[in-house]
Formats: sequence, structure tokens, C-alpha cells
Amino acid sequence: MAPDTESKTLQSAKPIELLHSQPSLFFANLQPILLLGTVLFSFKSLVADPVRTLLGLAPTIAIVQAIYCVVCLPSTGDVAAPTTKPGQKKKAGKPGQDIWAKVIPTFLSFTLTIVLSAPLLYIIVILFGAPLTTHHLHTLLFALHLALLTTPHLYYVHGLDAPTWLRLASLQQPIDESYGMSLGACVGAWVGAIPIPLDWDREWQKWPVTVVVGMYAGAVVGKLAGGYLFKGWKIKLA
Amino acid sequence: MDDGELQAESGNGSSASDRELNPEVASKQREVQFKAAHGLLVAFFTFVLLLHIGGISLFLSGFLLTRRVLDEKSKCSESPLYVEPSAIGEHAAGRGTYEDGCWHEKSFDKAVIIVIDALRYDFAAPYPPSSASVSLRRPRHYHNLIPVLYETAAQQSGNALLLPFIADPPTTTLQRLKGLTTGTLPTFVEGGSNFAGAEILEDNLVGQLKTAGKKVVHLGDDTWTSLFPGHFHPNLSHAYDSFNVWDLHTVDNGVTEHLFPLLRFQETVSGTEADWDVIIAHYLGVDHAGHRYGPDHLAMSDKLAQMDEVVRQAISSLPNDTLLVVMGDHGMDPKGDHGGESDLEVESTLFLYSAQTHFGTPDTTLIAPPATARERDSTGRERSVPQIDIVPTLSLLLGLPIPYSNLGKPIPQAFLGRKTGKPDWKNLAEVDRITAAQVHRYHVAYSNAPSSVTKLSESVQEDHKTDDEVVPPTGDALDTLWRKALQRWKAAEKHPNQDKWREVAETFDDYLSENLAVNQRQWASFNLPLMYSGIFVLVGSVLVSALYARGAHGNASGIAPPLLLRGLLGSLSGSALSFLISGLSPLSFLFTCVFLAVSGGIVGITSGLASLSSKIPLPASFWGWICFLSVLLPCISFASNSFTIWEDEILLFSLVTSGVLLLASSLRQRDPQDRAIGTLNSVVFLVLTRTASLSRLCREEQMPYCRSTYYASATSSTSSSWQLAIPWLATVLLPSVIRYFYARTKNYNGSAIIWIGFAFRIDLFLIAMYWLSDAADDGDWLTGKSLYGTINVGKDTLKTMRITIAQVVLSVAFAAGYATFLYASPFISVRTEDPAPELTGSIGFDGQTSTATTTTDIDVNTAFTTITPKPKPAAKPKQKLIILGYANTLGTHYFLLPTLWFLALVLLQKPMGQGTLSLLLTQILCLLEILDANSPSPDHTTHSDEEISPITDLRNSAVGPTLLALLALFHFFKTGHQATLSSIQWEAAFVPLRTIRYPWSPLLVILNTFAPQILCAIAVPALALWKRHPRLSQMGLLSDIARDMATHMLVYAAVAVATVIEAAWLRRHLMLYRVFMPRMLMGVVMLGVVEVVGIAVALMGVRTSIGSVKVVFGW
Repeated sequence: MAPDTESKTLQSAKPIELLHSQPSLFFANLQPILLLGTVLFSFKSLVADPVRTLLGLAPTIAIVQAIYCVVCLPSTGDVAAPTTKPGQKKKAGKPGQDIWAKVIPTFLSFTLTIVLSAPLLYIIVILFGAPLTTHHLHTLLFALHLALLTTPHLYYVHGLDAPTWLRLASLQQPIDESYGMSLGACVGAWVGAIPIPLDWDREWQKWPVTVVVGMYAGAVVGKLAGGYLFKGWKIKLA
Repeated sequence: MDDGELQAESGNGSSASDRELNPEVASKQREVQFKAAHGLLVAFFTFVLLLHIGGISLFLSGFLLTRRVLDEKSKCSESPLYVEPSAIGEHAAGRGTYEDGCWHEKSFDKAVIIVIDALRYDFAAPYPPSSASVSLRRPRHYHNLIPVLYETAAQQSGNALLLPFIADPPTTTLQRLKGLTTGTLPTFVEGGSNFAGAEILEDNLVGQLKTAGKKVVHLGDDTWTSLFPGHFHPNLSHAYDSFNVWDLHTVDNGVTEHLFPLLRFQETVSGTEADWDVIIAHYLGVDHAGHRYGPDHLAMSDKLAQMDEVVRQAISSLPNDTLLVVMGDHGMDPKGDHGGESDLEVESTLFLYSAQTHFGTPDTTLIAPPATARERDSTGRERSVPQIDIVPTLSLLLGLPIPYSNLGKPIPQAFLGRKTGKPDWKNLAEVDRITAAQVHRYHVAYSNAPSSVTKLSESVQEDHKTDDEVVPPTGDALDTLWRKALQRWKAAEKHPNQDKWREVAETFDDYLSENLAVNQRQWASFNLPLMYSGIFVLVGSVLVSALYARGAHGNASGIAPPLLLRGLLGSLSGSALSFLISGLSPLSFLFTCVFLAVSGGIVGITSGLASLSSKIPLPASFWGWICFLSVLLPCISFASNSFTIWEDEILLFSLVTSGVLLLASSLRQRDPQDRAIGTLNSVVFLVLTRTASLSRLCREEQMPYCRSTYYASATSSTSSSWQLAIPWLATVLLPSVIRYFYARTKNYNGSAIIWIGFAFRIDLFLIAMYWLSDAADDGDWLTGKSLYGTINVGKDTLKTMRITIAQVVLSVAFAAGYATFLYASPFISVRTEDPAPELTGSIGFDGQTSTATTTTDIDVNTAFTTITPKPKPAAKPKQKLIILGYANTLGTHYFLLPTLWFLALVLLQKPMGQGTLSLLLTQILCLLEILDANSPSPDHTTHSDEEISPITDLRNSAVGPTLLALLALFHFFKTGHQATLSSIQWEAAFVPLRTIRYPWSPLLVILNTFAPQILCAIAVPALALWKRHPRLSQMGLLSDIARDMATHMLVYAAVAVATVIEAAWLRRHLMLYRVFMPRMLMGVVMLGVVEVVGIAVALMGVRTSIGSVKVVFGW
């Protein structure tokens, strides 16, 4: 173990700042409204036919998340070059290159989300007690939504840097808006499972309506809390 | 130097000056010290156990309503009037034959009993109840829809009778049918001869019908067939599944379809011999409509209208000599559910009809049926009748003997107006006397029954000293009434006239009512002072446990003796105090004494803890909060019936949550070895938890969202053939798994090889053989023809073989296992090596580096007192001794104890349960590794690099003991159990025995039921011993073990207290008997079992393990 790399990775664990631009600020605030709005708007159909609704919502959510990545977040490479000081004027790069430098990481992030995060989260959801022999599509689509809410922005911001992902998985990364959103979604889904066993005989108690709603609410709360209240915090697991 | 450091670290070791005197003497001294401390610790835990038992028994004696079931049956030829011939006079009424009527002249040959489930009285009564209240409200969907009952009873009062019919709670169909056939009150614990099974063994109407040779046809709800198997006419009876609440019509249509042909057949061939004597038709639609929609719904209107039609048809096609009974078994609450004791739930309906004039009325001014369930007559008595009154009424009308334990009284109207419709008080006086005589006979028999808990009259006096109601009737009052009635009877016999007979009838009636009230109070009311005092001391003892386990500073075993002393003093003064104030106490002397002794003990221990400046044990760290919440949340959630019902799934959720957090914590470890081991074991832990969760036994309330996998099918209790592979799989895999954990630290040496690799495996093989032969027996595989001719291995041969195998398994487990455990030396091996040029960091197996093999420099003379783990760089040409397996000497030795108990526990499980128990054992090992990986390693002080040192210390947190308790609870459900009495696997008692033998049979059932709890409780000390430095001070180790054990027990105690409080709080809840009370019983029994096992097995084992290691490495 080289203490050098250790200390280096420790140093680099800083909360991620949003891009300081007008559209970035605008969309960062619009995103929670869009996410919550979409789910609340389609709540009835979610209860009536979860599979169809979740499938139909997935592209919308993916687009919202993709715009969020492109517009609001610094991509992997940008972090290493925070040379622009507040006062300094930004170098006017070529706009065409700029777009591609953002779209390609976004595309990669979503590919990873679908092929890596979603299956992994599917397994984790099953571990938590999701039905194993029935409701495959329900669970799979829930895992997909969970993946969409938790990982694309993390891939986009942190790339596939192993020490960073170790910190993310072990909850050591300092809280920022995007990490807060991911954690919030997980906690929200966890809380969302609580009303399922109650004997209220409500249609919406069926799998996975409550966890989906909890997940979206949690993501929004987590994003806001991570962005403002707990920014820079580190979770103590002692 | 290092050595001294370790001693100082762990606190209460020996001082350095001790050692300077004489190593041997000092060592002996320390050994004696340890044994004394250990003994006192055991005594302290036992004292706490006694406190818990005291609290629990206080609570349960106030909460559990007990009644003893008497096996006696009434006989036709033995009228109760002969019991005291001198007192009663010569026999009068009973003729003693079924033809004429056993104890009294019979009135009907046949009966048609239509039970309309959940027929509430206001369904049958007209709405609005009186003309004065017309403006009340518009009729609901359930009003005025079954008018036939009221109309008939009002218009033909000589032929029909309609009365409110008051049920005794719990108002569930099963309990009600028991009451309606036996005439007794339901209690939760019915001490009798039958262990399990629904069949009614007490004397009852249906049984009497069968004895009398009557043909009973049953149609409808299949609860009847489970209560009275073999009692019904096999060809004509049709039972329907009562479970599907969503289906409103199948049962009803089926009953109607079969009922009316029977009635009509009777009509057309009257004169020839009838095919049936009694028809019991049980309609469920009304109840189901109530459950599904609630009463105020169109579906209910339809259902009631349909019932109206059914009753009308039944009346019109009723033969002359037949009695028609239409009754509800209970009512329903405003939402349409039932089970509790609210007015609406207990107010049911009784309707009697006969084609001949038969019914009279005691009060000629009140001919119309009651308009409401609680209407009173001119003397102020309620006009309603208790449900159990139907039992003597029907018995006497049909000429049967009254069931032995009946407490009901004849319904006056049914005996007053025989034939004429005019009051015939003599007849009523006669039937009242017969019934009263039977009740008296029962009363005497019950009081004299050998093991009846308390004599009826005594306990009533005792329990109701404090009741703020009217002065309680005592046994003496009952006796007085009884004598008075007999005297009046004699007087009336001498000068008979209607008024005298009326007086006699009323006196007997009073006696019967009084007797019922007395019994109701004893069997159906809670003793609140006892319950509250029990709760009070239980809460106190749990707080004390919490303070001791998590709040006390210092050495947990060191503070035990002063706490014990103070506790004992407190208890003694408490019991002394009870002699002084027992007169003032609302409880009996015994209970006062228990209460004060337990309270005194609690106060004593608290004072001791306070003097030690303990802190309030509120969680301070992340893991503290996790543990606190993962116990507190379930405790709170037991107040909800849904969460209690789904406890198994919730435990999975909470265990996986903890597992994921452990995974995250493991990933944080900076030491790569710790990180890898922690991560790997966390993942395995998670996967095993979910795998175990696939084994399920659903309770009734979980349907239809649950599918049982524990047995071959939902309706069997045998294993399917693929499940038989599980024991074989365990035989192959489990020893290897344990070996893997042992070998990782080089501890797979010596006796460990013999035990795990050999004896353990053979025992598992034998267990697999046992269950294979069990399946062969169940499936009749060994009888019948095969290629090689007829084979026929008798069942008895198989059984003998199995029992022998089981006994061998147990003897290997306990005799050989304990022998190994007691006498095996630590599993280490020593290797000599020529000094290598480089002495530091002899890297061991799989990177356990410095922990797995410790290089020590040994001077042979003082070998066992001065091992210094410090490598000396000054290269002397000296031979080097390497002790393999040094790091986990303590843990691996102790872990023999869980494995040997595991064998006994696993033998008693069904194959599926064996699989989950094997998973549990593996999970425990994973947990031990995870906790170690997340704790500072013993030699971390030698690391110069502070960054490497672990950031968590899970071993000293509550995580281990708490998770073990949650795991045990989880696996309780995974070994085919539920928090219901019906899921107890009684057959486990017969695995190694042929007949029931005390105390072994109950012990075996406990071993089967609480196997996971027992295994986890035994594994608790391993948390503190696993991979601990063998040269740590024994006192420090004992302290850690004491704290872990106290924490583990605290989890169970918290659950027990929470369920106790919730059961007391929700004692009027309709799910009390189905959900809360069984969970509470499970909680308190579990607490007792875990504490006993923790003390007698685990703590005693610790003494052996530490002793055997210290003998080698020095005290």
C-alpha cells in the first residue's frame, strides 16, 4: 500500500459543486419538480398497472436525469481541472467539442446504469425480500428506476475510479447534491417498504408502488438535503 | 512489556507485583480468582433470570384465563338427580332412555339447525325499533331484510320464539361453536389431555347425538368437521371451505342445494324411516359479506334477503315433530368484523320454530319479541339469553343428557308452553332442577379435579377482593342458593301449585345465573392488579438489564458480585416487607411476596449500579443507534397486528439492512485483509439470509400473500422428496464449511479434526439417515413389490431403527461432544524452525499475517509465562517456535460447544429446518469474522502507521449480540414456526422416544421450537472470544462475555416486555387471541429459554474454554 495514493484519494474526496451557470441552476431546481411531478401525475396508473407505467416512465426519467448530468454536473474530466477561479473568465472552448465532451460521458453513464447498476440493484432488492419467483417485471423495473435515480450522475461525475467507488459504496464520500440524491433514493425506497404489510387493504399497498413513491420522494429530499443542509458531511459509521 | 500492556488494557488483571512473587503461586491465585468471579457472574445472571420469572409469572397469572377440561361425559342412564338422592328426593322425571328422553320427557324427534354466521340481532329486529323513533334515521342496507323471524315470532307466538342471543367473547366462529355445543365458556388455556388439534374432547351436543345413535347431517362451514371429525353422516354431509372470505355464494348455494331435498324427502316419505335426525346447516354468506364489504352494503342486503327466503322455505317444509333452530354464532362490528367483545359483536339472534304449539311466555304482557337486543322485561331483566343456554334447551327438547360441563340454563319459553301454549311452571321447574343438578355435579367434580389450579370458590374470593363492583358472590353464596332451591322444590312437591312451581323455577334459575356469573368472572376477566404489578417489575428489570449491559462502567463481571449482593438484600427485605403489609395489598400473600421480592431485587441492583456511576444507556454511536432501533422498532411494531403477522418478512428486511451496513463498514476498513474478509463474509451473510428466507410456513392471516415451502404442501406436514436431499447436502458441506473457518487461522488441528471432520460428519450422516427412514415410513416405500420380490419392512422395525439412530445421534452429540469440549486442549500446533535471516513478518496463510501465526521467541524454561510477541531483530542463533493457530485459540475451542448442540437441535428439525439451521451456523461464523474484521486487531499497537488502524470497534459494540438475537428470531420462522400455538411441532417429542416421557418430551419440543434461539445464545460468548489474543486477561474476557450475554438477553427481555405491555393494553382487541397473546407467550417463553441456556450452557462453557486455553498459555 502506497501512502501516497491513499492520501491523494483522501484529498480528492470533496463534495461536487454544480456548474455555475444559469441553465445549470435553473435545471437543478427544476429536476426535483419534474421527478416528483411525473410520479405523482402517473400515480393512478402506477397503482392500476405498475409494469406498464414504470416502463413508460423510464425514458422520461432517463431524459430528465441525462439533462441534469449534461446541464448541471461537471463530468469526470472536469473535476481534475478546476482551474477557473471565481473571478477568472472562462476560456471560450469550441461549443461543438463542449457538447460532445458532455454527451459521450452521459451516454456511457446511462449504458453503465442499465447494464451494471440495474442488475446489481435488482439483486440487492431481491436480497431485501422482494418476491423472487413472481413479479419479475415489477422488481426489474423498480430496480431500473432505482438505478436511474442513483447512479447515472455518479458515473458522470466520478467515472469508474475504483477508490472513489469504494468510498461511495462504503458511504465515505462527502455528501453533495448528487450523492445525496442517490442515498435519498435508497433510504426513501427503504422507508417505502414499511406500509406494505399493513392490513389496510388499499390497492396502492401492492408491490412496488410504495417503494417507487418512497424512492422518488427520498431522491428529491436527499438531493435538497445533500445540496444544502448536509453538504460536505461525511457519514460516520462507527 | 507487551504482555503488561495487554493486561493493563483489559483492566482487571493481576498486577505486576503478583508475578514477581512466584509465578506458579500467582498463576494458581489468578485461576482461583477467575473461577470465583465466574461463579459469581453465573449467580448474578441466575438472579436476574429469577427476577424475570417473577415478573412474568405475576403478569401471566393475571392475564391467562385458565380452565380445566374434564373428560367426563353425561350418560343417558345417569341422571344428575341421583348424585345426592337424599337431598333431592326420589327421582321423578328422568326415564333414562333415548326413546322417551333421557333425563326429561322429550318434545321433538328431529331438529334442523340453521346457523347463519354473524346474524346480528338488529338484522332480524324491525327498524326503527319503536314507532316513537321513526325519525331516527333511514334504514340501512341491513335493516328489515330478514323479516320472517320477527313476523313469525310476533304472529304465532306459540309456534315461534325470537330472542337476542348473547355470545361470550372471543366472538370467532371456532370458539363460538365450542360454546354452542359444550355449553361452557371459552378460555385461552384449556388444560386438558390433548396437546394439539382442534377436535372437541369435552362433552358436547354433537357427541351426545352420536352416542344416542342419531344421524347428524352437516352442511356448510367446514369448521364443524374439524371440531367433530367422524360425527356426521358421511354420505349426506357436505362441508365447504370456510376460509375464502371473498366468496359470498359458494357455501350458501351449496348448503341450500343440499338442505331442501333432505327436508322434502322427509315430507314425501313420512312414515318410513327417516334418513336423518338432525341437520346442521351453516351459512357463511352474511359473515363474508360483512368481512368483505361491511354490513351497510348492497351485498349484505342481497345476502339477508336470501337468508329470509331460506328460513321461509324451511318453515314451510318443516315436518311436525321437528324443531327448527335459526341462530347466529356472533354479531359483527360496524365494519363487519368480529372476534372482540363489543356489544354489536356479541349480539346475535336465536329463533326457534315448531309446527306445533310449543312456546310459552313467562310474562304475558310481553308477547312480542324484543325490539332491541338489550330490551328489558317488566322486572328489569334483560330479555336476551346467553348463547350457552341453547345447549341444555336442545338437549332436553331432544331427550338427550345435558353435556357434562354445561353452564347454560334452559330457555324458559321453550318449556313453558308445551302443547298448550299456557304456562306450565312445573315443567320448567323440573328442567331447571335437572340442569341445576348437572351444573352442581360439574361444579363439584371441577373443584375436586386433581390438578385444578384453584378451587373455584376460593379463587373467586381472592381475585375479587379489589373489584370495585358489587360485593362478589362467593362459593358460599352459591351453596346457599342451591340449598334454598332444593328446599323450595321439596315444599312445592308437598303442596303443588303453579305459583310454588314458579318460585322453584325462579330459584333454580337464580342459582344457574349466579353460577354462570361466578364462572364468567373467573374464566373471562383479567386480574388487573396482578397484570400491572407484573408489568411494573418486568419494565424495572429490563431497565436494570439495560443499565448493566450497556451503561455500567468498568468490568462487567467485576461489578456483578456487589450487584448480586445488593439485589439479594433487596429481595430479602422485600419479602420481609410482604409479611408486614400483606393485609394492605390488593394481591394475595404469595403474589405480594413475589412482587416485593422482585421489586426489592431491582431496587438493590439499581442502587448498586448508581453507586458505580453508570450512565444512562442511550445509544451514542452510529452502531449503537442501529442496534437500539433494530430492537425498538420491532418492539413498537408488535402493537400492530399486521406487523406481528408479517414478522418473518420484517426480520428479513431488518437483517439485510444490518448486513448491508456491515458490508459498507467492512469496505471502509483500511487494512486490506480486514476489508477483504469483512466484505466477503458480509456478502455471504446477506446471501445466506435471503436463502434461508425461502423456507416459509405461512400463518393463516398471511394468506393469500404467502406460500408455504416448509412442508411438501400447504395441507401436509411431511417433507417433499427434494427436501430429503437437504440433510445429505448438510452432511457433505457443513463440516467443510466449519473446517474452512477453523483452517483460516490454522486451528484445524488435533481434536478439531476428530470432532468436526469425523464425529460431526458421522452424526450428520446419521441424522440424514433418520429422516430418510422417516420419509420411507411416511411414504410406504419399503412395502410392496419390487424387482427383487416382495419386501416388507414393518413399520415397527423402521420405528425401532429410527429411534435407535436418534438416540445414537444424541449420545454422540452430548457424550462425545462434551467429552471433546471438556478435555480437548486448544487447537494449536507447534512447529520449530531454524531462524531465518529475517524474523519479522512471517507471513501466514491467506494474509492473516500477524494474527494467524505469531512468531514467538521462547525461552523454554519460562515458556508459558513470558511469551513476547515482540520479534527481536538482534539475530541470535536460536531455534524458533511457531505456534500455529495462536490467534484464534479461544474462539475455535469455544465454538465446539455450538457445534455439538447444533447436532442435537438439528436432529429434531424437519429436513427444511435442518437446511436453515445449517445456514444459521454458517451465518454465525460469518458474523464472527465480520465483527473481527471491523475491530482493532490485538496487535494493532505494533503498527506504526496510524492510518492502517481500524476505525471501528464492532466487537465492543452491541452489534454482535443484537444481530445474533435478530438472527435467532428470524430463523425461528424459518424452521417452520410461527407465533401461533398451532405451529408447534409436537411430533418432535417422538423423534428419539416412542412414548411421552417426562421431562424429556416437553424438553424435546422446546429444543425443536427454540432451536435457533438456543444455538445463538450458545454462540454469544464466541463473539468475545473469536480471534482474541489468548493471553488477554481472563477477567477482561469474562467482562466482555458478560456484557455481550447481558445485551443478548436484553434484546429478548425488551421484546418480551413490549409484547406483554401490548397484550395487556390490547386485551380488548379482536386479534388478542389470534395475534397478540400468542406473540406475547412466545416472547416470554423465549426469554426464559434463552436465559436458562445462556447461563447453563454458554456461561458454563466459557469457564471450560478459558480454562483450557489458560492452562496452556498461563493464567
